Amino acid sequence: MSGFHWPSWTIDPEQLRRLQFLEKVPLFAGLSRRQLGKLLVKLFEKEYGAGETIFLEGEPGKALFIVLDGTVSICRAGPGGEHRLATLDPGAYFGELALIDDHPRLATARAEEDAALLILYKSHFDGLIEGNSTIAIRVMGNLLKTLAGYVRMAQAPSANHNPATIPASIAALEQNRTPAEGTGR
Amino acid sequence: MTPDEPTENLEGAGPSDRGRLMPPPPSIIWALGIAVTGMIIYIARGLVLILLLSMGLAYVINPIVKRAESVAIKRGLAVTGLYLGIVLSLLVTAYFVAPLLRAEISTLSGGYPAFTQRLDETIDAVQEEIAIKYPSVGQLFPAREARYERLNDFIKEQTADLPSLVGHLATIAIAAAFVPLFSFFILRDSPKIIAFTMDRLPPAEIETSVAVWCEIDRVIGRYIRGLALDGLVIGVAASLGLWMLGVNYPLLLGAFSGLANVVPYLGPILGGGVAMLTALMQFKALTPLSNVLILYVVIKLLDDTVIQAQTIGKSVHLHPMLLLASVTTVGHALGLIGMILAVPAVTVIQEIIKLFLERRRVRAGVSGPYSGKSVYIQPYVC
Repeated sequence: MSGFHWPSWTIDPEQLRRLQFLEKVPLFAGLSRRQLGKLLVKLFEKEYGAGETIFLEGEPGKALFIVLDGTVSICRAGPGGEHRLATLDPGAYFGELALIDDHPRLATARAEEDAALLILYKSHFDGLIEGNSTIAIRVMGNLLKTLAGYVRMAQAPSANHNPATIPASIAALEQNRTPAEGTGR
Repeated sequence: MTPDEPTENLEGAGPSDRGRLMPPPPSIIWALGIAVTGMIIYIARGLVLILLLSMGLAYVINPIVKRAESVAIKRGLAVTGLYLGIVLSLLVTAYFVAPLLRAEISTLSGGYPAFTQRLDETIDAVQEEIAIKYPSVGQLFPAREARYERLNDFIKEQTADLPSLVGHLATIAIAAAFVPLFSFFILRDSPKIIAFTMDRLPPAEIETSVAVWCEIDRVIGRYIRGLALDGLVIGVAASLGLWMLGVNYPLLLGAFSGLANVVPYLGPILGGGVAMLTALMQFKALTPLSNVLILYVVIKLLDDTVIQAQTIGKSVHLHPMLLLASVTTVGHALGLIGMILAVPAVTVIQEIIKLFLERRRVRAGVSGPYSGKSVYIQPYVC
């Protein structure tokens, strides 16, 4: 790609916009344009209307979601009804644990306003990384960094826990913590 | 609730409500839906087969289109360019290979009137060779007249249903014309078809529903592409081997072996059988026949151990018994093409059943095979 440029009339502007967008997603940091292109063709784009549910707490997790446009809220059912754990803006991603295991979702995701999301299914991701070890190492490395950050935040003093800044997954994990876990072993 | 209410309800359910039909349970509706769909598919099986073959071709070509899309090239443009490229390549190939193939076909068709005579002579020669080498076995062969009569009856029986044969040829001609056309549109418009379908699903169901489709797409895509590559390798290997053994029509027989290879289990037997028959008629001796048999056994062994592992791999997770049963059953219902489509069809059903079972398991709160219970969790993280 570096030396050769396709004529502009052959380029799909929407696809190019998505490609440029992916470069800014932290989960894909370190991937080359070519690798991002391979990833791009595995993604689905889906628009959700305001208030529409993206996934429900307790359902099997199958995909990672990236917010392309709009905002998404992550909520969890509690004794006093559903409460919001986080609000995600364009560039943020959620549902990343589905790329690792097949546990049920820890929270519900809902479009807060009209939103466009990119969806990466686990089966497509697995297919992609099977033949591309560099992509696998980079993405998994970024994912591990994120998870390590979640764990650190979860174990930090509760004074630092601002609901607006807590990543969705760790906020959901926080809800699950028992007092024994909360005090640190 | 007042004490009168049940009485009112009972009265309400009296003569007027008793006749009212209750809606059937969802399982009955599903079963009926599946039965009706199956019936429609069976009735329109000709069109369904053409559509399935088109999808198969689209699966083979799709990775090249995806590669173009990955550098943001317009999909429609990529598909059109690719088809033009394929047509051009076919024309060039036809220019170089067609004279060879035409020569083989014309030799074959020119020799057809003498076919039964040559077959008869071949059987005579082989019988004679066996009788000389193994006199006790030679005594078991029927007399020439009896055999000739049986052979003639067999040929008459096979050629009696000429209208049906013409019908099959017409279907093949229609498929040859429509499959590339349909696959062009499937390739060009598949993102729109997927987006259209996703827009019609309940938003909360999209993740799990499309996940099944993704898994099916991945498994079948690999299987079909692997099968095509496997057939190509087998075809080239058989052509080369037959050419080295000096058997006539190596290109035709190799191409047939490659194509037949897409039918699980029966394909290799069919391909090898035709090559052995040709060798038998050409040489009228047992040694070249055994050479061809060895060639096909070696190719089959290499295919099972090396080639398939590289091309198809473990893309389809079906038990061998289920695989054989599905090939036999679907093959019985839909013929040769049914045998080819059996594996993808059973894979689709298997993936859908897996999803339903998983959802039931998750909703029932039962852990799956990869649940956290099988993962070691440290009592601390630091």
